[in-house]
Amino acid sequence: MSDTAAAHEAPTSTGIDHKKLIMWLFLASDCMFFGTLISTHLLYRKLFPAGFTDAEGHQRFIQQLFSIELTSFSTFILLMSSFLMALAVSAMHKGQLKSFRRNVLGVIFFGLIFLGCQVYEFTHFYHQGLTIQNSVLGSTFYVLTGTHGTHVAIGVLWLILMYFYSFTGKLRGHMGALDVEVAGLYWHFVDIVWIIIFTAVYLVEYLGPYGIWGSGLPAAVK
Amino acid sequence: MSSSHEAAPSPDFLVEEVRRYHHFIVLALWLAVVTGAEIVLIYLPIPTAAILTILTLMSAGKFFAVILWFMHLIYDKRLLFWCFFAGLALAFATYTALLMLFSADRIDTRWFS
Repeated sequence: MSDTAAAHEAPTSTGIDHKKLIMWLFLASDCMFFGTLISTHLLYRKLFPAGFTDAEGHQRFIQQLFSIELTSFSTFILLMSSFLMALAVSAMHKGQLKSFRRNVLGVIFFGLIFLGCQVYEFTHFYHQGLTIQNSVLGSTFYVLTGTHGTHVAIGVLWLILMYFYSFTGKLRGHMGALDVEVAGLYWHFVDIVWIIIFTAVYLVEYLGPYGIWGSGLPAAVK
Repeated sequence: MSSSHEAAPSPDFLVEEVRRYHHFIVLALWLAVVTGAEIVLIYLPIPTAAILTILTLMSAGKFFAVILWFMHLIYDKRLLFWCFFAGLALAFATYTALLMLFSADRIDTRWFS
């Protein structure tokens, strides 16, 4: 730990603010939650590599639905929102409320773009025949990415409330900066989960003609 | 809350914050470049195993870069790192255990349908 951080040590038995410690413990538990969802998706992709059957009875592969351009754009947007969140936290630590508001508005805007992309993706997939009920792939995919999207939506709502709260004059000093930092931790967590999802769910489907799971397909399906 | 917590930030603290600000900019650029490289990588004509290994390393690099710098773990107390690492280790252990339990070679998937 740096000397500067030591100078701002909280007056608790651990030297860490309780709010921050609780948030980190929550994130650790959320890590296990997402770990289970990602594991389930990967295992079922391994067990059922054949994708899904659409309404007309045609065998479809997930690679035919994915849009690497859209997903890459979403990933870039979320990474940049994380950058803006780090700047917002930094601004609050320096007591620059206007800079904080500007950066938080950027995070909210990027978060809403990400959610818009996800809504578009889900709608597109649904119309292409992939539903939460018609295949194991649909179930695990929608539950995993939907849970992540819900986290993003909660984060956006939290930041909108924090933005308006900053106009009351109560969001100031060390405690104000701590509140923003805790919200920032949550937002960054949402970002790191997406980093894993982007690789484990999307990118691996582009490896080989039938994705990374294609080797498990029966010859008749290929 | 005590009055010491409402005091203006010290000059040392502000210098540190400015230093972090530059770290954040460099990291954001680095994250964008690595994400771009990941997308290019999946189209390269190299063995799948090699691509998968590099993708995993890149994702892990991005993951830890965000938690260390953006989430301030590198500046904060070690206890926070170990708290989070415990959750992360359990998540990874869950995946490994499930992978061992549900090996595709040993399970009859007709049971599910």
